[in-house]
Amino acid sequence: MNALPDRYASDELVLRDPNDGRTLAQRLTKRYAARITGAFVVPGREGSFAPLPDDLPPALAHALRSRGIDRLYSHQAEAWAATQCGAHVAIVTPTASGKSLCYTLPVITAAMTQHAKALYLFPTKALAQDQVAELLELNQAGDLGVKAFTFDGDTPGDARQAIRLHGDIVVSNPDMLHQAILPHHTKWAQFFENLRYVVIDEVHTYCGVFGSHVANVIRRLKRVCAFYGVTPQFILCSATIGNPKEHAEALIEDAVTAITESGAPTGDKHVLLWNPPVVNPDLGLRASARSQTNRIARLAIKSGMKTLVFAQSRTMVEVLTKYLKDVFDSDPRKPARIRAYRGGYLPKERRAAEREMRAGSIDGIVSTSALELGVDIGSLDVVVLNGYPGSVAATWQRFGRAGRRQQSALGVLVASSDPLDQYLVRHPEFFQGAPPEHARIQPDQPLILLDHIRCAAFELPFIGDEMFGTEVATPWLDVLGEEGVLHREGDRWEWIADSYPAIAVSLRSVADGNFVVVDRTNGRQTIIAEVDYTAAPVTLYEGAIHMIQSVPYQVERLDWEGRKAYVTRTHVDYYTDAIDYTKLKVLDCFDTSNAGCGQAHHGEVHVVRRVPGYKKIRFYSHENIGYGPVNLPDQELHTTAVWWQLPQAVLDAAFEQRQQALDGFLGAAYALHIVATVAVMAEARDLQKSVGSGDGAWFVSADITGRGQVRGTDCQPAAMTADAPFTPTVYLYDAFPGGIGQSEPLFNLREDLVAQSVTLIERCDCRGGCPGCVGPVLAADEDAATTPKALALRVLALLVAL
Amino acid sequence: MQVVAQRASSSDRFVPGTEIAPGLFLTEVIVDWGRPTPLIDTAFARWEEPVAHGRLLHFDTETTGLAGGTGARAWMIGAGDWLADGRFRLRQLTTTTMGAETAMLRTFAQWLQPDTVLVSYNGKCYDSPLLKTRYRLARLPDPLFGLGHLDLLHPVRRRWKGLWENCRLVTAERELLGVVREDDLPGSEAPAAWLAYLRGGSAHNLRRVLAHNAHDLKSLAGVLLHLARLPQ
Repeated sequence: MNALPDRYASDELVLRDPNDGRTLAQRLTKRYAARITGAFVVPGREGSFAPLPDDLPPALAHALRSRGIDRLYSHQAEAWAATQCGAHVAIVTPTASGKSLCYTLPVITAAMTQHAKALYLFPTKALAQDQVAELLELNQAGDLGVKAFTFDGDTPGDARQAIRLHGDIVVSNPDMLHQAILPHHTKWAQFFENLRYVVIDEVHTYCGVFGSHVANVIRRLKRVCAFYGVTPQFILCSATIGNPKEHAEALIEDAVTAITESGAPTGDKHVLLWNPPVVNPDLGLRASARSQTNRIARLAIKSGMKTLVFAQSRTMVEVLTKYLKDVFDSDPRKPARIRAYRGGYLPKERRAAEREMRAGSIDGIVSTSALELGVDIGSLDVVVLNGYPGSVAATWQRFGRAGRRQQSALGVLVASSDPLDQYLVRHPEFFQGAPPEHARIQPDQPLILLDHIRCAAFELPFIGDEMFGTEVATPWLDVLGEEGVLHREGDRWEWIADSYPAIAVSLRSVADGNFVVVDRTNGRQTIIAEVDYTAAPVTLYEGAIHMIQSVPYQVERLDWEGRKAYVTRTHVDYYTDAIDYTKLKVLDCFDTSNAGCGQAHHGEVHVVRRVPGYKKIRFYSHENIGYGPVNLPDQELHTTAVWWQLPQAVLDAAFEQRQQALDGFLGAAYALHIVATVAVMAEARDLQKSVGSGDGAWFVSADITGRGQVRGTDCQPAAMTADAPFTPTVYLYDAFPGGIGQSEPLFNLREDLVAQSVTLIERCDCRGGCPGCVGPVLAADEDAATTPKALALRVLALLVAL
Repeated sequence: MQVVAQRASSSDRFVPGTEIAPGLFLTEVIVDWGRPTPLIDTAFARWEEPVAHGRLLHFDTETTGLAGGTGARAWMIGAGDWLADGRFRLRQLTTTTMGAETAMLRTFAQWLQPDTVLVSYNGKCYDSPLLKTRYRLARLPDPLFGLGHLDLLHPVRRRWKGLWENCRLVTAERELLGVVREDDLPGSEAPAAWLAYLRGGSAHNLRRVLAHNAHDLKSLAGVLLHLARLPQ
């Protein structure tokens, strides 16, 4: 055991009897009553069962029985009945409720009785591999003769032909369908001619930009199926979201039968909402979520409970892993008890982590959202969320990881200082009663639609007034004709260019081109990680500390064009955090309305994001120990935004100094962003805020005291002359090129947003402003009338509808 | 960004051959070429039986590009075969509209018999799959299915890889047949030549592609005979 004295080892909170979430919840509640703002129990449920259907092929029924399945959960039986009627089906039940059997039964039955084929789509390769392993076991148990294969980027070339010809069930992902299968559909002709079922699992992940792309890939799939004379039946599965039926119907653009009652038994789930203690009341500063998460996780692991910690960023995964390893893996001779799991690791490393979790040799795992999905990692007892995942649905999906064994499980949400987190833990009734969010997609977003009409035209010519989704494709085909990639002859538009358009369209991110991280320690040249394009400017700048399994590497050189970051192993006691600035310019205003003494607008904007430098932050103490410069190209984007402005005369009358007005706008922006994020149920990163001038001449960022600092177009602090035009503007913009449809609903909600922001600030307990309302501010001795909080209210009051 | 479509119209729109279907032109010439023996030894391709020269059909397509997938098409097909008297027949099907593709595919299918042996240079990986895709898209049966196929690239590579600068057909014909082409339009410019014509431009380069294609077919036959005569 650990030779160092460990004050937690003797802690009376450590349980004698593991696997009891209830007792741990009670002890935590008793000991840390002040930190727990909400505690509730989601009661377990008895299972609801149905016999194996009579119309299952006997061999399949036999295989199920030999695998210990002699009855079905009620939702599985319902799914069977619905698929046998020919309906498209959406199944919405929690993690580990036996969803896959809902599609396995009809698919295997059709393969056995009609030689029908099925296509499975999973969002990740790992899930696809799990699924094939499961199918193979069932197949073997009953000698069913059904052939299932994964088809992904790792499938060797010589195996592909056999899979196309002989696969009864092909398990792939939307990206492969988009880039490899549809553009080569003639090679898959036999597969398509016999395609009976398309299974799409984890459809709740197909929302936002990714979902909008996937909906278009499904349009292309249906178009290709029509060419081969088939109309496959869709079976969709989802974790709990607010609008499963609507979302499934939006994805496949057809009516579905939704099955939403799970028949699987569950144990009680104890949920605690945890707010770190206040350490500085003047500043509204609380202890970090990280320290609290670390404490709860240590306690749970010491109690012998398998524990999963979710962190919001890859960096935080590494920091928390390091802290837990410092306690539990201090002896390098013993096998590791703590593991990190996140995107960016190589697949081999992730598979190893999954295996070790299933085998039970790992006691604690720290993950990003990567483990939110159905990756099979076995049973868990405790889930700790280091920060609110951004949606109620994702919170329950993560909590769903605990409690598979019908025992009481524990889920703890530890609030960070992020305003959304604070909003939630201070309103536990909101969280308890909130319905899970709606998944939204915008398949007709112009940039996305054009990309997929381009790909579709490559796959099959467009003829006449052919529809693509809900629109006639002709105007888009004209655009592609102008571009020279299509040629029109009579009523046919045919692909003519020497290019393969799907390669240039990435479903998952705006700009394609992942960065690889190359380790050059001691002359090596090893790729140790991948980072997606959008994350690269804030994680791979030269000087950044890039952590992998909590081992720090320093970025020595970033080859932006070549998408490579060269790193070496280093030994430092700090990590790095990027500083980024954003400025906007209005390009086109679609709509305007009065907002109090000012105006609200909705339209198109140009956004420039710059990372001028980074901070070095020491481990454990988290003090800022230095800065470094970053020299990277600006990230630019055209998108849509909603914005509010007040005329100069109104501001001059309401504020003694322009600085006060700027502080007010900054605080108003902060509050508006919080309420808007909740209102459209956006992920915080998809909706961004900014304060600047209407013409892009300057923008405002908060300085260390929480006061507005005007910066010029070069991002350097600037002074404004007294007679310069002054039209501060608060923007909320869509963080995706072309916009993904958030700004119009926000414009429609403009009056509510301003009113809710006023309420949010007025009801906040802080004195002058805090991360829960107008953003962090330094305590100051000024009078109450000019605190950032008061100034923000003054700005908002001017925008309240008369 | 793609190059903006060139739409200049030209007065030089002459495409050689007979228009056998709307937009489909057939040229046919018969030349003395190769003096084949009645049976061609195919041991170089590790085939056990020799093949009667009348069964051989040399073919080569000109396409809209190398990107692959369902968006690539052949706009012309050239075929060369020896007649019973040993003379070499060169036939070329050229489409001048996209709509003529189906007629081209049907005509080419008529040139193939169940015992035809195809001869190509990299046709197994390129021309043949591309045509299979086009037949499928045109909803026509695949006439290439089940036919023997001598792809000369592979035996050439086996023998001369590393000895020559590369194993392209132009290199093989220079090394083996002593042929040096003059004023040859590189195959890589075939897509642009057709596209320019399709958009109303000059047929000049289109005709140069046809000449290039005919040259390829003759070289193909020449390389085949050379390989057949090599001591194994």
